[in-house]
Amino acid sequence: MLAYVLRKLAYGGLTVLGVLLLIFVIFFAMARPDDVARRALGEKAQGAQIEKWKAKHGYDKPLWPTLAKPGGSLLQAHYVSLLSFEFGNSDLNDSPIGTTIRDGMGASLALTIPMFLSGLVLGLVLALFVAFFRETYIDTMGVFLCVLGMSVSILIYIIGSQFVFAKMLRWFPISGFDTDVIADGNWNLLLRFLALPVTVGVLSSFGGDTRFYRTVFVEEVNRDYVRTARAKGAGEMRVMLRHVLRNAMIPILTRVVVAIPFLFTGSLLLEAFFGIPGLGSITVDAIAGNDFSVLRVMVYIFALLFILAQIATDISYTLVDPRVRLE
Amino acid sequence: MESWMVSNLVVAVLLVGGAWIAVAVSRHDIWRAAVQQVWKRRPGAVLVVCVYVLLALLDSVAWRGNVDTGSDVVAQHEAVTLLERLFGDAQEKSYSAPLADIEFYDHSPLKHPGSHLFGTDILGGDVFLMTLKGARVALLIGGLTSLIAIPLALLFGIPAGYFGKRIDDVVFFIMSTLASIPTLLLLISITVALGRSTLVVCFALAVTSWVGFCRIARGETMKLREMDYVHAARLMGASETTIILRHILPNLMHLVVITFVLMFSGLVLSEAVLAWLGIGVNGSWGLMIAKAKDELSRDPAVWWNVGGAGVGLFGLLLAVNFLGDAVRDALDPRTRKES
Amino acid sequence: MARLAESLTTGSGSGSDLSRRCQAMAWRSLLGLVAFACFGCSNSPYPEEDSDTKILYRSFEEAPKNLDPAYAYTTSATAILGRVYDTLLEYHYLKRPYQLIGGIAKEVPTAEVLDDGTIRYGFELRGEMLYQDDPCFAAYGGGATRQVLAGDLVFAFQRLADPLVNSPVFQSFANLKGFAEFAKALAERRKRDPAFRKLPPREQYRAVGGISGVVSEGPHHFELVLARPYPQILEWLAMHFSAPVPWEAVQHYDGKEGRDHFKDHPVGSGPYYLSEYAKESRYVLEKNLNWYGVKHPEWKAAGAVYPTSGAPGDEAHGLLPAEYVGKPLPFIERIVTVRDKESIPAFGKFLQGYYDSSGIVKESFDQLVRGDALSEEMSARGMKLEKSAKSDIFYLGFNMDDPVVGSAKGARSRALRQAMSLMVDVLEYTRVFTNGRGIPAQSPLPPGIFGYDAEYKNPFRTVDLKRAQALMVEAGYPGGIDPKTNKPLRLSFDTSDTSPDGGARFKFFVKAWRQLGISVEVSATDYNRFQKKMREGAFQIFQWGWVADYPDPENFMFLLWSKMSRKKSGGPNTANFSNAKYDELFLKMATRENDDRRMEIMKEMRTLLEHERPWIELYHRESYVLRHGWLKNVKAPGLSLPVSKYWDLDAAERGRRRTEWNRPIYWPAFLLLFMGLAIIAPGIRTFYQERQ
Repeated sequence: MLAYVLRKLAYGGLTVLGVLLLIFVIFFAMARPDDVARRALGEKAQGAQIEKWKAKHGYDKPLWPTLAKPGGSLLQAHYVSLLSFEFGNSDLNDSPIGTTIRDGMGASLALTIPMFLSGLVLGLVLALFVAFFRETYIDTMGVFLCVLGMSVSILIYIIGSQFVFAKMLRWFPISGFDTDVIADGNWNLLLRFLALPVTVGVLSSFGGDTRFYRTVFVEEVNRDYVRTARAKGAGEMRVMLRHVLRNAMIPILTRVVVAIPFLFTGSLLLEAFFGIPGLGSITVDAIAGNDFSVLRVMVYIFALLFILAQIATDISYTLVDPRVRLE
Repeated sequence: MESWMVSNLVVAVLLVGGAWIAVAVSRHDIWRAAVQQVWKRRPGAVLVVCVYVLLALLDSVAWRGNVDTGSDVVAQHEAVTLLERLFGDAQEKSYSAPLADIEFYDHSPLKHPGSHLFGTDILGGDVFLMTLKGARVALLIGGLTSLIAIPLALLFGIPAGYFGKRIDDVVFFIMSTLASIPTLLLLISITVALGRSTLVVCFALAVTSWVGFCRIARGETMKLREMDYVHAARLMGASETTIILRHILPNLMHLVVITFVLMFSGLVLSEAVLAWLGIGVNGSWGLMIAKAKDELSRDPAVWWNVGGAGVGLFGLLLAVNFLGDAVRDALDPRTRKES
Repeated sequence: MARLAESLTTGSGSGSDLSRRCQAMAWRSLLGLVAFACFGCSNSPYPEEDSDTKILYRSFEEAPKNLDPAYAYTTSATAILGRVYDTLLEYHYLKRPYQLIGGIAKEVPTAEVLDDGTIRYGFELRGEMLYQDDPCFAAYGGGATRQVLAGDLVFAFQRLADPLVNSPVFQSFANLKGFAEFAKALAERRKRDPAFRKLPPREQYRAVGGISGVVSEGPHHFELVLARPYPQILEWLAMHFSAPVPWEAVQHYDGKEGRDHFKDHPVGSGPYYLSEYAKESRYVLEKNLNWYGVKHPEWKAAGAVYPTSGAPGDEAHGLLPAEYVGKPLPFIERIVTVRDKESIPAFGKFLQGYYDSSGIVKESFDQLVRGDALSEEMSARGMKLEKSAKSDIFYLGFNMDDPVVGSAKGARSRALRQAMSLMVDVLEYTRVFTNGRGIPAQSPLPPGIFGYDAEYKNPFRTVDLKRAQALMVEAGYPGGIDPKTNKPLRLSFDTSDTSPDGGARFKFFVKAWRQLGISVEVSATDYNRFQKKMREGAFQIFQWGWVADYPDPENFMFLLWSKMSRKKSGGPNTANFSNAKYDELFLKMATRENDDRRMEIMKEMRTLLEHERPWIELYHRESYVLRHGWLKNVKAPGLSLPVSKYWDLDAAERGRRRTEWNRPIYWPAFLLLFMGLAIIAPGIRTFYQERQ
């Protein structure tokens, strides 16, 4: 078991190195440091200032290491800074990226944890319900609704819900967030801010999730052991909850664990439209401002979380299902 | 050669290719049966997809001259597509509601009253025409991306599955590296770094979507490698290349078709999000929605722009989703056995 | 809930009756739960306890990047700096045309010509004034705060000259005696002396010897000496660039934790101070109790009490109410500014009463404004509309260095530019894109600036297809056909605006030019690529806007001065226009007082531009600012000056209106629930029937 975990971890580490190389190629081979400096300093910046700025941000080094001079390249600096989590300062407004991300994490989690949990519960319940009534009109309608939900762009959900729930019915604020609210423990206000984005987030993802869970459940329902259980006189409800749900755990777990990294990064569009200053919002700002230094770190962090989640999935398989071999 | 000639050539190639595939399909029992089954299960979805393809073809055939372009002098020197010719000059000055006779805000009379089924946009362009033209862009995004992604996936997936060992390790490493970067961020990073154009967006979409298919191709090849007829071929002295081309590749074709159909809707939806971030493809429904999202909050609201694009997008995705399920049921050996 | 209890207690009887009753109970409890969930609903984005305080709520779209008063030059930064830093001079709140009054200086000085031809301005500071409380003072052995000294002004001017501060207004202050020399000496000394580089800025400045034209005598006397006449210097003194800066703040915050923090920590002596600053999402300004207006109401200083007189018509508009005239400022306790990236949600919140004032997004214009007044529905809500012309100009420019559209081809390319100018219909443009807001521009000068002539009509700024076509023949492109390729002439329009909205606007111009047979391609690239093109002069047509820094024609005419060329000097003359005659006229008018001769020179320049067409002038913006009735004393400034210290608001009235406008509507929740149950119920029933 320990060897298995260690091997998984080592492979994960290797993947991280690969991801870093990819990030480097995308971001550094493409943007000239001079342009980045000009963008940060303003059009009137002079040669000396640009040089100073480049030196301060470490962009004055050669891109690739050479045989003659293996150390001191930008590539090396890139690996060192990201692997040691010393992200440095933003190219654009000079604020420390590490702090920015730590500040944004709270808001992102406040949005995504409720979204994740309610989405999971709703998706499972709906899928069980639809699977329970399989091959009736409820099933057909359910599948149709799911496809419908999947086919609508999240933009439409956001705009529509802001219009209906905030402007017409006035149940929730149109947009807004206040990071102090979490510190102050003003739950009423926090709930008010989150209700709408969480609803939209769940709405936009339930279609795909429910359809997936339903497929898994229906596949499971047709298995022999379910028939046996039913023949033994177990009630339909009991069959669904005790046998089907439990045996469908593996594919569900895979999907769920892989979704966990998204918790930390929030949702780009939701945060931008609802004014939540989380990581998604930071990313959108970085895209709009061509702030590669922040974008680079965001890609890295996301990949890191994803790789960790993958390892966690692999390990949890062995815990849930003893049949999975530790090869 | 100019772009409209290229476009005409592509249409010709597609038509010939389509005919060839149709003949090929009718000769193979499995494929013919699959097509018949799909048609029996989802005739509506098949028809809708056919309509979209037809629209895209109509909007790709273009030639110069002999057309009324209104006040636009330049257009007389440019190629105009068949679809645009069917509409003729439909230019107004600004917004008008569906089938209206007057402008929406100004209330001045229109040049072509009552002819705009979906109304006109802020610059007076016909929204119905734009919606129909969006079909070409959507199919272009889906088609071009698949054209890059699927060969790429096969090129990496088959050798990895067939030869195993080192090759497999390398391919698997590349796959897991790419897969660990979130799709949207990778898409954005590539488009931001390479600049914005249709080709770059398709390339970025291909880079983010080939991994999933590569994994399937690799797994399936591993299975096929152990099949009796492959062993037999090897004993008969067939070279590795021959085995891959003659025995493995044809048996992956059903997977290619399934993946293509299932991937398609995801690609078109991704483009819509990119469009909101300002890196969309010209003329796409995603761009129409991003452009028109603020119009919804006008009072009275201008809804036909979002509406037109929404209907176009939604119709295609719904049809493709249902078609995808039907194709999978018809071609996937696992589900085929059960039904 | 009472009914629920009732059904519980009366729950007895036969079996079937019981089950029916249970069902009814379940229904009711479900409805009750939903109702309960909803009574907690409200669409207010603020904590309840704040509703009685005089807090001004505003929103911003773009976050300020830098709050260094010597460097920041964006509207978003001015909104903070203009309130935090107090300036030597200010503009009178109500009077138009704009009139300078004393700020922290007692009076507006008059120019004194000295024997050597230099010009001196002397300033008396008001007396004992304090900075806001800040830890930086204690860090250098002081208390919570300290006095504002004339030496702080000297320090602020030295920072403007410092090449490392990189102030964007360096050129405007370079008329000060010894200003450029100081900058040069500083740079040289830094280059050769590494030990010098390590010194704090204040000691560096002192070691170099300071600027000879910037002098302080004692704590309250300050002098500026100009090497050549530049009357506009006084207007610059009303902006935050030259506000007093405590050296402690720069020394304390710059270099802390290895980076420059001063630009995130403004420390000033103005009516407000920055109490909370979450860069990208929100900031809060709190009333500064150290401000001289609060500490010394008895001074009745011009910038610290509500004005007693204004422009004609102000009285009728209720801008001189008896309860405010002569009262000490500021009235509002706190200013909360929240980021709303998307304009539509922000405007929605304004309509609900959660922002106090707002511009009008174009999408809602027709709903709100009828003709020139507010619609009845909005007036009934107590809303007010302020309309004012902005001192700015939006224009299309040609790159005059370009071989096709530029000056190289002489008369031919001039005819091309004239033809293109004749095709752009600004009235149609403003009708389609800005709800008709905007005054069509005939020359670079907007209304309200000396030299603006409402009678003047530019002959090339009307739409005339026939004449344009004739000009195209003259230019050598009959019918738009380029004889070299035998195809329509191809030009490119460069922009960094990749938004869909921008796309539609550029397409408007493209459509107009296509009628001439010119095929213009819009190339929208990201900012970096666009700037590169601009620097290298690799562009043909572009769109640009300019907002006045101060109300003087020089601030507009210099946009076409060859010395300001973008390609050669990185200046704002993006068109790279270079014309000897124009330069000569410009230098003549630049430093003149507003007299008849100046008017004549400017007419000559106007005629020159009219003919040469480096620009196609589009429009001057008209700003429509909406505010709620509870916000008082608001007069729209044409310049981007933060004037909220004169405003007041009625928090009780606001609270009442907010509740009135935002009562939630609940019935759709019940409807939805009912519909859901109606769809599912028969299915469940058939299912159970089948099972039995």
